[in-house]
Amino acid sequence: MKPEQTVTALEEDLNALNKKIEKLGKLAIAQFSGAIDGMATFDTEHLNSIISQDKLLDDLELSINDDAFLLISLRAPVVTDLRRVIVAIKISSILERVGDYAKNIAKRSKILAEQGSDTIPGVNIGRMGQLAEEMLTEVINAYLTRDVSKAIKIRDRDLEIDYMYTAFYREILTSMARNPEQISNGTHLLFIAKNIERIGDYATGIAEQIYFLIHGTTLEDDRPKADPLTSSNKET
Amino acid sequence: MDGLSKKPLNPDSLIEATLENPRMSARNVDVFYGENKAIDNVTLDVGKREVTSLIGPSGCGKSTFLRCFNRMNDTIDICRVKGTILLDGNDIYDASMDVVPLRAKVGMVFQKPNPFPKSIFDNVAYGPRIHGLSENKDHLRNIVEKSLKRAGLWSEVKDRLHEPGTGLSGGQQQRLCIARAIAVGPEVILMDEPCSALDPIATARIEELISELKAEYSIIIVTHSMQQAARVSQRTAYFHLGRLIEVGKTSEVFTKPKNSQTEAYISGKIG
Repeated sequence: MKPEQTVTALEEDLNALNKKIEKLGKLAIAQFSGAIDGMATFDTEHLNSIISQDKLLDDLELSINDDAFLLISLRAPVVTDLRRVIVAIKISSILERVGDYAKNIAKRSKILAEQGSDTIPGVNIGRMGQLAEEMLTEVINAYLTRDVSKAIKIRDRDLEIDYMYTAFYREILTSMARNPEQISNGTHLLFIAKNIERIGDYATGIAEQIYFLIHGTTLEDDRPKADPLTSSNKET
Repeated sequence: MDGLSKKPLNPDSLIEATLENPRMSARNVDVFYGENKAIDNVTLDVGKREVTSLIGPSGCGKSTFLRCFNRMNDTIDICRVKGTILLDGNDIYDASMDVVPLRAKVGMVFQKPNPFPKSIFDNVAYGPRIHGLSENKDHLRNIVEKSLKRAGLWSEVKDRLHEPGTGLSGGQQQRLCIARAIAVGPEVILMDEPCSALDPIATARIEELISELKAEYSIIIVTHSMQQAARVSQRTAYFHLGRLIEVGKTSEVFTKPKNSQTEAYISGKIG
């Protein structure tokens, strides 16, 4: 028997919570995408607006936490309904962190813009940023459509970012070793690359939350990893 | 007509219906009120030293099923029970089974506290007296004191044991009824919505008591409160339209029910 689909107060609250996650997701994508663009164009005005808008994400996350707390207190959700609330709290926390990284990328890009950073050769950090942005966009869509198979595919793509990060890391390190004048810019670029790599991890984290939401169990962590610090020919 | 739907059940959700070494076993139990089938082919074991909660919408048969375990349905003329119910391997519906000692072994606590119109002492002493369980007056006093202590009521009534049981508060009366059930040395205690007439504080005391009592007894509780089932029981059985839909560990049933009907019920979407 199919349960009655009456729109209860609980359902209304859960839908409202979902709308806020959707809004936070769009904001996080816009912030990250803006930071990646700003990094390429060195448009400091644009970068400043990314930095100041981070507060919107912080406030929205707090508001989601308040709503979730109230919803648990007043509506006592169980089973799938409870998972929806728990997952909303976790995803909002992840998206707020994505915002923090976007802000950090914007800040470092501003410094690079002031110093002029196009002196490091061969580095394609923009492609890595695009890939992370795609993953983030797709994983938020997968969350909104409850698409587990899509979520798992996104999770598997994180390895691509890890490989790109490893290659990038080595490239910048080599460049800094050859030319110590590059150390200041190179360090900012390393942090930016690490931030992008972390955003890939966060997209993966959201994918895992989608799996938990639908199945009520945790996805086993059996993905291959490509961490430069643990790979066989480490150079540090 | 039997009034029950005949949709196939999800066999996965009934995998845990039987247990190794159970205290009580119901096998293929049907219950009829006249022509009306109230329970349809239910198989369910009750474990030792644990609380089993029976949940489900009103009219799903959970109280009827509970009352099969000490043959309380025998008191209803038009009620017929088919199938087998075993207590420690013995068929309680066997012709040779005497229901009076059976009801001492399988005690019952009802929705509304129902102390006898007697003193607190006599309420508890009544069972041991009629079952001939006490050797002398001192022994009887001992049984009464021990039972009231186990029911968590002793400290509140020890100085007024000869006052009427009906003068106690609702929560105290319910604990008196539990003491009365304990006094005859049961193995199983059946509880039919024991807290539905009590305030939250009295409810919390009874729930605490249930948790303590499970160290010695098997308890089967019918409750409409999902939170209560979740708090006090180790196993939960969900009934719908006279059929057992799902049974399993309470921690599983309330977080990952196997049957969508169970989830709909515990989420407040049906019933």
